Amino acid sequence: MFHALDTAASGMTAQQINLDNIANNLANSSTAGFQSRRVQFSDLLYQNDIMPGAAATQQTTVASGLQIGLGTRPGNTEIVQTQGDLSSTGNPLDFAIQGSGFFQILLPNGQVGYTRSGSFQPDAQGNLVTANGDQLQPAITIPTSATNITVGSDGTVSVTLPGQTQAQQVGVIQLAMFANPGGLNSIGNNIYLPTTASGDPVVGTAGGSQGLGTIQQGMLEQSNVNVVDEFVNMILAQRSYESNSRVIKAADEMLQQLNQLAQ
Amino acid sequence: MDSGYYSLATALNSRTQELDTIANNLANASTVGYRAQENVFGSILATAGNTNGSALSQAVNTYGILSGTTLDLSQGALQKTGNNLDVAIEGSGYFVVQTANGPMYTRNGSFQISAHGQLVTSAGDAVMGEDGAIAMPPGVVSISSDGTLSSGGAVVGKLHIVEFAPNTQLTSMGGSYYSAPAASVQKATQSTVQQGMLESSNVNSITSMVDLVTAQRTAEMMQRALNMFNSEIDKTATQDLPKVG
Repeated sequence: MFHALDTAASGMTAQQINLDNIANNLANSSTAGFQSRRVQFSDLLYQNDIMPGAAATQQTTVASGLQIGLGTRPGNTEIVQTQGDLSSTGNPLDFAIQGSGFFQILLPNGQVGYTRSGSFQPDAQGNLVTANGDQLQPAITIPTSATNITVGSDGTVSVTLPGQTQAQQVGVIQLAMFANPGGLNSIGNNIYLPTTASGDPVVGTAGGSQGLGTIQQGMLEQSNVNVVDEFVNMILAQRSYESNSRVIKAADEMLQQLNQLAQ
Repeated sequence: MDSGYYSLATALNSRTQELDTIANNLANASTVGYRAQENVFGSILATAGNTNGSALSQAVNTYGILSGTTLDLSQGALQKTGNNLDVAIEGSGYFVVQTANGPMYTRNGSFQISAHGQLVTSAGDAVMGEDGAIAMPPGVVSISSDGTLSSGGAVVGKLHIVEFAPNTQLTSMGGSYYSAPAASVQKATQSTVQQGMLESSNVNSITSMVDLVTAQRTAEMMQRALNMFNSEIDKTATQDLPKVG
Protein backbone atom coordinates (compact mmCIF):
# COMPACT_ATOMS: atom_id res chain seq x y z
CA MET A 1 0.00 0.00 0.00
CA PHE A 2 1.04 3.62 -0.41
CA HIS A 3 3.51 4.88 2.20
CA ALA A 4 2.24 8.33 1.32
CA LEU A 5 -0.76 7.96 3.63
CA ASP A 6 1.38 7.16 6.68
CA THR A 7 4.06 9.65 5.68
CA ALA A 8 1.56 12.49 5.39
CA ALA A 9 -0.06 11.40 8.66
CA SER A 10 3.34 11.68 10.38
CA GLY A 11 3.63 15.21 8.99
CA MET A 12 0.19 16.13 10.31
CA THR A 13 0.94 14.70 13.77
CA ALA A 14 4.21 16.61 13.87
CA GLN A 15 2.50 19.90 12.98
CA GLN A 16 -0.16 19.24 15.59
CA ILE A 17 2.57 18.96 18.26
CA ASN A 18 4.20 22.08 16.80
CA LEU A 19 0.92 23.96 17.22
CA ASP A 20 0.53 22.67 20.80
CA ASN A 21 3.96 24.07 21.59
CA ILE A 22 3.20 27.42 19.92
CA ALA A 23 -0.04 27.62 21.92
CA ASN A 24 1.90 27.07 25.15
CA ASN A 25 4.47 29.71 24.22
CA LEU A 26 1.78 32.25 23.39
CA ALA A 27 -0.20 31.41 26.53
CA ASN A 28 2.94 32.17 28.55
CA SER A 29 3.92 35.32 26.72
CA SER A 30 3.18 37.34 29.87
CA THR A 31 4.73 34.90 32.35
CA ALA A 32 7.78 36.56 33.93
CA GLY A 33 10.91 34.43 33.56
CA PHE A 34 9.27 32.00 31.08
CA GLN A 35 11.60 30.62 28.44
CA SER A 36 9.93 29.52 25.24
CA ARG A 37 10.48 26.14 23.66
CA ARG A 38 10.96 25.25 20.04
CA VAL A 39 10.03 21.89 18.48
CA GLN A 40 12.72 20.30 16.37
CA PHE A 41 11.78 17.76 13.73
CA SER A 42 13.85 15.07 12.12
CA ASP A 43 13.25 12.82 9.14
CA LEU A 44 12.45 9.15 9.73
CA LEU A 45 14.23 6.18 8.26
CA TYR A 46 14.42 5.54 4.53
CA GLN A 47 13.35 2.51 2.59
CA ASN A 48 16.37 1.78 0.44
CA ASP A 49 15.14 0.10 -2.72
CA ILE A 50 18.49 0.79 -4.37
CA MET A 51 21.39 1.99 -2.22
CA PRO A 52 23.20 5.01 -3.68
CA GLY A 53 26.53 3.85 -5.03
CA ALA A 54 25.36 0.23 -5.37
CA ALA A 55 26.99 -1.79 -8.12
CA ALA A 56 24.97 -1.76 -11.34
CA THR A 57 27.36 -4.16 -13.02
CA GLN A 58 30.81 -5.37 -12.06
CA GLN A 59 32.35 -2.20 -13.47
CA THR A 60 29.74 0.47 -12.89
CA THR A 61 27.66 1.85 -10.05
CA VAL A 62 24.14 3.24 -10.20
CA ALA A 63 23.92 6.98 -10.80
CA SER A 64 21.45 7.53 -7.98
CA GLY A 65 19.93 5.29 -5.38
CA LEU A 66 16.20 4.84 -4.85
CA GLN A 67 15.46 5.95 -1.31
CA ILE A 68 11.88 6.44 -0.22
CA GLY A 69 11.56 8.49 2.97
CA LEU A 70 8.96 7.47 5.49
CA GLY A 71 8.04 10.81 7.07
CA THR A 72 8.97 13.01 9.99
CA ARG A 73 8.81 13.01 13.76
CA PRO A 74 9.15 15.67 16.43
CA GLY A 75 12.65 15.14 17.82
CA ASN A 76 12.75 17.36 20.88
CA THR A 77 11.53 20.63 22.30
CA GLU A 78 14.52 22.77 23.05
CA ILE A 79 14.43 25.61 25.57
CA VAL A 80 15.22 28.86 23.78
CA GLN A 81 18.02 30.49 25.74
CA THR A 82 17.64 34.08 24.69
CA GLN A 83 17.40 36.82 27.30
CA GLY A 84 13.89 38.14 27.90
CA ASP A 85 13.29 41.90 28.06
CA LEU A 86 13.84 43.43 31.48
CA SER A 87 11.05 45.60 32.72
CA SER A 88 11.33 47.97 35.63
CA THR A 89 8.85 47.27 38.44
CA GLY A 90 10.23 49.50 41.17
CA ASN A 91 9.71 46.70 43.71
CA PRO A 92 12.99 46.28 45.66
CA LEU A 93 12.41 42.51 45.93
CA ASP A 94 12.08 41.93 42.17
CA PHE A 95 15.33 40.66 40.70
CA ALA A 96 16.21 39.98 37.08
CA ILE A 97 19.22 38.00 35.88
CA GLN A 98 21.11 39.45 32.96
CA GLY A 99 23.06 36.39 31.84
CA SER A 100 22.54 32.64 31.86
CA GLY A 101 22.18 31.95 35.60
CA PHE A 102 19.19 30.67 37.58
CA PHE A 103 17.96 31.40 41.11
CA GLN A 104 17.97 28.39 43.42
CA ILE A 105 14.82 27.69 45.41
CA LEU A 106 13.93 25.02 47.93
CA LEU A 107 10.89 23.00 46.82
CA PRO A 108 8.42 21.57 49.37
CA ASN A 109 9.81 18.06 48.74
CA GLY A 110 13.30 19.14 49.78
CA GLN A 111 14.67 19.26 46.23
CA VAL A 112 16.38 22.36 44.89
CA GLY A 113 14.63 23.85 41.87
CA TYR A 114 15.92 26.50 39.49
CA THR A 115 14.05 29.50 38.12
CA ARG A 116 14.63 32.75 36.29
CA SER A 117 11.50 34.30 37.71
CA GLY A 118 12.86 36.71 40.32
CA SER A 119 9.72 37.98 42.00
CA PHE A 120 10.31 37.41 45.73
CA GLN A 121 8.49 38.39 48.91
CA PRO A 122 9.40 38.04 52.57
CA ASP A 123 7.42 35.37 54.43
CA ALA A 124 6.28 35.64 58.09
CA GLN A 125 9.85 34.97 59.30
CA GLY A 126 11.31 37.47 56.85
CA ASN A 127 12.80 34.80 54.56
CA LEU A 128 12.68 35.60 50.85
CA VAL A 129 10.22 33.25 49.10
CA THR A 130 8.71 32.98 45.61
CA ALA A 131 5.04 33.66 44.92
CA ASN A 132 4.45 29.95 45.66
CA GLY A 133 6.18 30.21 49.05
CA ASP A 134 9.34 28.33 48.03
CA GLN A 135 12.36 29.66 49.85
CA LEU A 136 15.30 31.22 48.04
CA GLN A 137 18.56 29.30 48.58
CA PRO A 138 20.84 30.12 50.38
CA ALA A 139 18.20 31.58 52.70
CA ILE A 140 18.13 35.34 53.04
CA THR A 141 16.30 36.84 55.98
CA ILE A 142 15.16 40.43 55.83
CA PRO A 143 14.56 41.88 59.32
CA THR A 144 10.93 43.01 59.53
CA SER A 145 12.02 46.44 60.70
CA ALA A 146 14.26 47.03 57.67
CA THR A 147 13.52 50.31 55.96
CA ASN A 148 15.63 49.99 52.89
CA ILE A 149 16.74 46.91 50.95
CA THR A 150 19.55 47.10 48.42
CA VAL A 151 20.77 44.26 46.20
CA GLY A 152 24.03 44.75 44.37
CA SER A 153 24.69 43.40 40.89
CA ASP A 154 26.80 40.63 42.51
CA GLY A 155 23.82 39.56 44.65
CA THR A 156 24.89 41.13 47.94
CA VAL A 157 21.74 41.95 49.95
CA SER A 158 22.03 44.76 52.46
CA VAL A 159 19.39 46.44 54.61
CA THR A 160 19.16 49.64 56.57
CA LEU A 161 17.64 49.34 60.02
CA PRO A 162 15.84 52.18 61.79
CA GLY A 163 18.23 54.36 63.77
CA GLN A 164 21.29 53.15 61.85
CA THR A 165 23.02 55.05 59.10
CA GLN A 166 25.30 52.19 57.98
CA ALA A 167 23.72 49.53 55.73
CA GLN A 168 24.08 46.01 57.06
CA GLN A 169 24.76 42.95 54.86
CA VAL A 170 22.24 40.12 55.40
CA GLY A 171 23.29 37.64 52.73
CA VAL A 172 24.43 37.00 49.17
CA ILE A 173 22.14 35.61 46.45
CA GLN A 174 23.94 32.85 44.62
CA LEU A 175 23.14 31.78 41.07
CA ALA A 176 23.46 28.41 39.36
CA MET A 177 24.21 27.60 35.76
CA PHE A 178 24.17 24.44 33.68
CA ALA A 179 26.42 23.06 30.96
CA ASN A 180 23.33 22.43 28.81
CA PRO A 181 20.38 24.51 30.04
CA GLY A 182 18.40 23.29 26.99
CA GLY A 183 18.21 19.87 28.68
CA LEU A 184 16.50 21.08 31.88
CA ASN A 185 13.20 19.54 32.91
CA SER A 186 10.32 22.06 33.17
CA ILE A 187 7.97 21.18 36.01
CA GLY A 188 5.69 24.23 35.76
CA ASN A 189 5.56 27.37 37.90
CA ASN A 190 8.69 28.55 36.01
CA ILE A 191 10.71 25.92 37.85
CA TYR A 192 13.31 23.70 36.22
CA LEU A 193 14.95 20.58 37.59
CA PRO A 194 18.36 19.33 36.49
CA THR A 195 18.60 16.14 34.41
CA THR A 196 21.51 14.05 33.19
CA ALA A 197 21.21 15.97 29.93
CA SER A 198 21.51 19.38 31.58
CA GLY A 199 24.39 18.35 33.83
CA ASP A 200 24.86 19.27 37.47
CA PRO A 201 24.44 22.90 38.53
CA VAL A 202 27.54 25.05 38.86
CA VAL A 203 26.86 27.48 41.71
CA GLY A 204 28.63 30.78 41.96
CA THR A 205 28.37 34.43 42.78
CA ALA A 206 26.71 36.70 40.25
CA GLY A 207 28.87 39.02 38.24
CA GLY A 208 31.84 36.68 37.93
CA SER A 209 33.57 35.63 34.75
CA GLN A 210 31.63 32.32 34.62
CA GLY A 211 28.76 33.86 32.62
CA LEU A 212 26.21 33.54 35.46
CA GLY A 213 25.20 37.12 34.80
CA THR A 214 24.43 40.02 37.05
CA ILE A 215 21.40 40.68 39.23
CA GLN A 216 19.31 43.76 38.55
CA GLN A 217 17.20 44.93 41.46
CA GLY A 218 13.73 46.38 40.81
CA MET A 219 13.47 44.64 37.45
CA LEU A 220 11.73 41.50 36.23
CA GLU A 221 12.70 39.45 33.21
CA GLN A 222 9.73 39.13 30.90
CA SER A 223 9.11 35.90 29.01
CA ASN A 224 11.39 35.53 25.99
CA VAL A 225 8.45 34.56 23.75
CA ASN A 226 8.55 36.57 20.54
CA VAL A 227 4.89 36.93 19.64
CA VAL A 228 5.57 37.87 16.00
CA ASP A 229 7.79 34.79 15.49
CA GLU A 230 5.18 32.59 17.13
CA PHE A 231 2.48 33.88 14.80
CA VAL A 232 4.68 33.28 11.77
CA ASN A 233 5.38 29.76 13.05
CA MET A 234 1.68 29.24 13.58
CA ILE A 235 0.90 30.14 9.97
CA LEU A 236 3.69 27.85 8.76
CA ALA A 237 2.39 24.99 10.94
CA GLN A 238 -1.13 25.48 9.66
CA ARG A 239 -0.09 25.55 5.99
CA SER A 240 2.15 22.55 6.41
CA TYR A 241 -0.72 20.67 8.04
CA GLU A 242 -2.85 21.63 5.06
CA SER A 243 -0.34 20.43 2.46
CA ASN A 244 0.05 17.12 4.28
CA SER A 245 -3.71 16.65 4.32
CA ARG A 246 -3.73 17.40 0.60
CA VAL A 247 -1.31 14.47 0.10
CA ILE A 248 -3.68 12.17 1.98
CA LYS A 249 -6.51 13.30 -0.28
CA ALA A 250 -4.39 12.68 -3.40
CA ALA A 251 -3.39 9.21 -2.17
CA ASP A 252 -7.01 8.44 -1.39
CA GLU A 253 -8.12 9.49 -4.86
CA MET A 254 -5.41 7.43 -6.50
CA LEU A 255 -6.45 4.39 -4.48
CA GLN A 256 -10.03 5.01 -5.48
CA GLN A 257 -9.03 5.01 -9.15
CA LEU A 258 -7.14 1.78 -8.67
CA ASN A 259 -10.22 0.21 -7.17
CA GLN A 260 -12.24 1.32 -10.16
CA LEU A 261 -9.88 -0.59 -12.48
CA ALA A 262 -11.40 -3.85 -11.37
CA GLN A 263 -14.90 -2.95 -12.48
CA MET B 1 -1.40 -10.32 -23.72
CA ASP B 2 -1.05 -6.71 -24.76
CA SER B 3 2.30 -5.40 -23.55
CA GLY B 4 0.75 -1.97 -23.18
CA TYR B 5 -1.17 -3.33 -20.24
CA TYR B 6 2.05 -4.13 -18.34
CA SER B 7 3.70 -0.95 -19.48
CA LEU B 8 0.83 1.07 -18.00
CA ALA B 9 0.77 -0.96 -14.80
CA THR B 10 4.51 -0.30 -14.34
CA ALA B 11 4.03 3.40 -14.94
CA LEU B 12 1.12 3.53 -12.50
CA ASN B 13 3.29 1.81 -9.91
CA SER B 14 6.07 4.36 -10.37
CA ARG B 15 3.55 7.18 -9.84
CA THR B 16 2.54 5.75 -6.48
CA GLN B 17 6.23 5.69 -5.51
CA GLU B 18 6.55 9.27 -6.70
CA LEU B 19 3.66 10.18 -4.40
CA ASP B 20 5.55 8.59 -1.48
CA THR B 21 8.55 10.83 -2.10
CA ILE B 22 6.40 13.96 -2.41
CA ALA B 23 4.63 13.04 0.84
CA ASN B 24 8.00 12.68 2.57
CA ASN B 25 9.18 16.06 1.31
CA LEU B 26 6.02 17.81 2.47
CA ALA B 27 6.09 16.01 5.83
CA ASN B 28 9.65 17.30 6.32
CA ALA B 29 8.97 20.88 5.27
CA SER B 30 9.75 21.95 8.88
CA THR B 31 12.78 19.71 9.47
CA VAL B 32 15.90 21.79 10.02
CA GLY B 33 18.68 20.94 7.55
CA TYR B 34 16.48 18.54 5.52
CA ARG B 35 17.40 18.10 1.86
CA ALA B 36 14.43 17.51 -0.47
CA GLN B 37 14.36 14.31 -2.51
CA GLU B 38 13.90 14.48 -6.24
CA ASN B 39 12.53 11.66 -8.35
CA VAL B 40 14.45 10.33 -11.31
CA PHE B 41 12.35 8.44 -13.81
CA GLY B 42 14.01 6.10 -16.23
CA SER B 43 12.97 3.60 -18.81
CA ILE B 44 13.71 -0.08 -18.82
CA LEU B 45 13.54 -2.38 -21.79
CA ALA B 46 11.38 -5.29 -20.77
CA THR B 47 12.75 -7.48 -23.53
CA ALA B 48 16.39 -6.70 -22.74
CA GLY B 49 18.53 -9.55 -23.98
CA ASN B 50 16.19 -10.19 -26.86
CA THR B 51 18.27 -8.58 -29.58
CA ASN B 52 16.01 -9.84 -32.32
CA GLY B 53 13.16 -7.54 -31.35
CA SER B 54 11.94 -5.20 -34.02
CA ALA B 55 12.05 -1.45 -33.49
CA LEU B 56 8.32 -1.57 -32.85
CA SER B 57 8.64 -4.34 -30.30
CA GLN B 58 11.37 -2.41 -28.48
CA ALA B 59 9.30 0.76 -28.49
CA VAL B 60 6.23 -0.82 -26.97
CA ASN B 61 8.24 -2.76 -24.45
CA THR B 62 10.03 0.23 -22.94
CA TYR B 63 8.57 0.67 -19.47
CA GLY B 64 8.78 3.83 -17.40
CA ILE B 65 9.95 3.24 -13.84
CA LEU B 66 11.10 5.34 -10.91
CA SER B 67 14.76 4.50 -11.21
CA GLY B 68 16.14 6.59 -8.39
CA THR B 69 15.96 9.54 -6.05
CA THR B 70 18.54 12.27 -5.76
CA LEU B 71 18.89 15.01 -3.20
CA ASP B 72 18.21 18.64 -3.92
CA LEU B 73 21.39 20.23 -2.57
CA SER B 74 20.30 23.84 -2.87
CA GLN B 75 20.60 26.17 0.11
CA GLY B 76 17.61 26.33 2.46
CA ALA B 77 16.48 29.66 3.90
CA LEU B 78 18.34 30.78 7.03
CA GLN B 79 16.13 31.40 10.01
CA LYS B 80 17.20 33.52 12.96
CA THR B 81 16.82 31.75 16.31
CA GLY B 82 19.03 33.81 18.63
CA ASN B 83 20.41 30.68 20.32
CA ASN B 84 24.19 30.88 20.66
CA LEU B 85 24.54 27.19 19.89
CA ASP B 86 22.58 27.29 16.62
CA VAL B 87 24.77 27.36 13.55
CA ALA B 88 23.81 27.47 9.88
CA ILE B 89 26.12 26.79 6.94
CA GLU B 90 26.14 29.07 3.95
CA GLY B 91 27.58 27.16 1.03
CA SER B 92 27.73 23.47 0.23
CA GLY B 93 29.46 22.27 3.40
CA TYR B 94 28.30 19.81 6.07
CA PHE B 95 29.06 19.39 9.76
CA VAL B 96 30.73 16.11 10.71
CA VAL B 97 29.06 14.11 13.46
CA GLN B 98 30.47 11.00 15.14
CA THR B 99 27.68 8.44 15.60
CA ALA B 100 27.65 4.83 16.74
CA ASN B 101 27.56 3.92 13.03
CA GLY B 102 30.60 5.97 12.03
CA PRO B 103 30.87 9.52 10.81
CA MET B 104 27.73 11.16 9.41
CA TYR B 105 27.21 14.54 7.82
CA THR B 106 24.46 17.01 8.60
CA ARG B 107 23.34 20.55 7.84
CA ASN B 108 21.32 20.69 11.07
CA GLY B 109 23.40 22.97 13.28
CA SER B 110 21.12 22.94 16.30
CA PHE B 111 23.83 21.99 18.78
CA GLN B 112 23.81 21.55 22.53
CA ILE B 113 26.39 20.98 25.20
CA SER B 114 26.19 17.52 26.75
CA ALA B 115 26.36 16.89 30.49
CA HIS B 116 30.03 16.00 29.92
CA GLY B 117 30.65 19.41 28.39
CA GLN B 118 30.92 18.18 24.80
CA LEU B 119 29.37 19.90 21.81
CA VAL B 120 26.67 17.50 20.56
CA THR B 121 23.75 17.46 18.08
CA SER B 122 20.17 17.42 19.34
CA ALA B 123 20.33 13.62 19.00
CA GLY B 124 23.31 13.60 21.39
CA ASP B 125 26.04 12.64 18.89
CA ALA B 126 29.39 14.39 19.20
CA VAL B 127 30.03 17.21 16.73
CA MET B 128 33.53 16.90 15.33
CA GLY B 129 36.03 19.69 15.40
CA GLU B 130 39.15 19.68 13.30
CA ASP B 131 40.93 17.94 16.21
CA GLY B 132 38.14 15.55 17.24
CA ALA B 133 35.25 16.14 19.65
CA ILE B 134 34.94 19.65 21.07
CA ALA B 135 34.95 20.19 24.84
CA MET B 136 33.05 23.34 25.83
CA PRO B 137 33.91 24.93 29.18
CA PRO B 138 31.00 26.90 30.71
CA GLY B 139 30.77 30.43 29.40
CA VAL B 140 29.26 32.50 26.65
CA VAL B 141 29.81 30.76 23.31
CA SER B 142 30.68 32.64 20.17
CA ILE B 143 31.28 31.13 16.76
CA SER B 144 33.05 32.99 13.99
CA SER B 145 32.22 32.65 10.31
CA ASP B 146 35.06 30.17 9.73
CA GLY B 147 33.70 27.91 12.49
CA THR B 148 36.14 28.86 15.26
CA LEU B 149 34.42 28.31 18.62
CA SER B 150 35.23 30.31 21.66
CA SER B 151 33.80 30.06 25.14
CA GLY B 152 34.13 32.96 27.52
CA GLY B 153 36.61 34.59 25.14
CA ALA B 154 39.02 31.64 24.89
CA VAL B 155 39.27 29.63 21.65
CA VAL B 156 38.21 26.02 22.29
CA GLY B 157 38.21 24.51 18.80
CA LYS B 158 37.09 24.82 15.24
CA LEU B 159 34.09 23.09 13.66
CA HIS B 160 35.10 20.51 11.08
CA ILE B 161 33.16 21.40 7.95
CA VAL B 162 33.47 19.28 4.84
CA GLU B 163 32.34 19.48 1.25
CA PHE B 164 31.95 16.60 -1.16
CA ALA B 165 33.46 15.94 -4.55
CA PRO B 166 31.10 16.84 -7.43
CA ASN B 167 28.44 14.20 -8.18
CA THR B 168 28.88 12.47 -4.83
CA GLN B 169 25.79 10.52 -3.86
CA LEU B 170 24.73 11.18 -0.31
CA THR B 171 22.65 8.52 1.41
CA SER B 172 19.84 9.80 3.64
CA MET B 173 20.11 8.13 7.03
CA GLY B 174 17.15 9.84 8.77
CA GLY B 175 17.44 12.33 11.62
CA SER B 176 18.85 14.89 9.12
CA TYR B 177 22.00 12.76 8.84
CA TYR B 178 23.61 11.84 5.55
CA SER B 179 26.41 9.43 4.84
CA ALA B 180 28.91 9.60 2.00
CA PRO B 181 31.83 7.51 0.76
CA ALA B 182 34.97 8.49 2.70
CA ALA B 183 36.92 9.08 -0.53
CA SER B 184 34.60 11.91 -1.61
CA VAL B 185 35.08 14.01 1.55
CA GLN B 186 37.03 17.20 1.02
CA LYS B 187 37.93 20.08 3.28
CA ALA B 188 35.40 22.89 2.94
CA THR B 189 36.61 25.86 0.97
CA GLN B 190 33.41 27.68 0.06
CA SER B 191 31.36 27.43 3.23
CA THR B 192 30.92 29.89 6.03
CA VAL B 193 28.87 29.52 9.18
CA GLN B 194 26.42 31.87 10.85
CA GLN B 195 25.83 31.78 14.57
CA GLY B 196 22.29 32.17 15.95
CA MET B 197 20.74 30.91 12.71
CA LEU B 198 19.37 27.59 11.50
CA GLU B 199 18.92 26.44 7.92
CA SER B 200 15.30 25.55 7.19
CA SER B 201 14.39 22.55 5.09
CA ASN B 202 14.95 23.27 1.38
CA VAL B 203 11.61 21.72 0.39
CA ASN B 204 9.83 24.06 -2.01
CA SER B 205 6.17 23.65 -1.18
CA ILE B 206 5.04 25.18 -4.47
CA THR B 207 6.92 22.69 -6.66
CA SER B 208 5.94 19.88 -4.28
CA MET B 209 2.27 20.75 -4.68
CA VAL B 210 2.65 20.97 -8.47
CA ASP B 211 4.40 17.57 -8.43
CA LEU B 212 1.57 16.22 -6.33
CA VAL B 213 -1.08 17.34 -8.80
CA THR B 214 0.98 16.07 -11.74
CA ALA B 215 1.49 12.67 -10.13
CA GLN B 216 -2.19 12.41 -9.39
CA ARG B 217 -3.29 13.41 -12.89
CA THR B 218 -0.79 11.19 -14.70
CA ALA B 219 -1.91 8.30 -12.49
CA GLU B 220 -5.45 9.10 -13.60
CA MET B 221 -4.34 8.98 -17.25
CA MET B 222 -2.74 5.57 -16.74
CA GLN B 223 -5.89 4.34 -15.09
CA ARG B 224 -8.04 5.53 -17.99
CA ALA B 225 -5.74 3.91 -20.50
CA LEU B 226 -5.79 0.67 -18.51
CA ASN B 227 -9.56 0.84 -18.54
CA MET B 228 -9.49 1.13 -22.31
CA PHE B 229 -7.45 -2.05 -22.58
CA ASN B 230 -9.77 -3.69 -20.15
CA SER B 231 -13.16 -2.61 -21.34
CA GLU B 232 -12.78 -1.55 -24.95
CA ILE B 233 -10.26 -3.92 -26.48
CA ASP B 234 -10.55 -7.04 -24.34
CA LYS B 235 -14.28 -6.83 -24.13
CA THR B 236 -14.49 -6.56 -27.89
CA ALA B 237 -12.22 -9.56 -28.23
CA THR B 238 -13.91 -11.76 -25.68
CA GLN B 239 -17.53 -10.76 -25.86
CA ASP B 240 -18.34 -8.95 -29.07
CA LEU B 241 -16.20 -10.82 -31.61
CA PRO B 242 -17.75 -14.25 -30.92
CA LYS B 243 -21.13 -12.78 -31.75
CA VAL B 244 -20.06 -11.76 -35.22
CA GLY B 245 -21.65 -13.94 -37.77
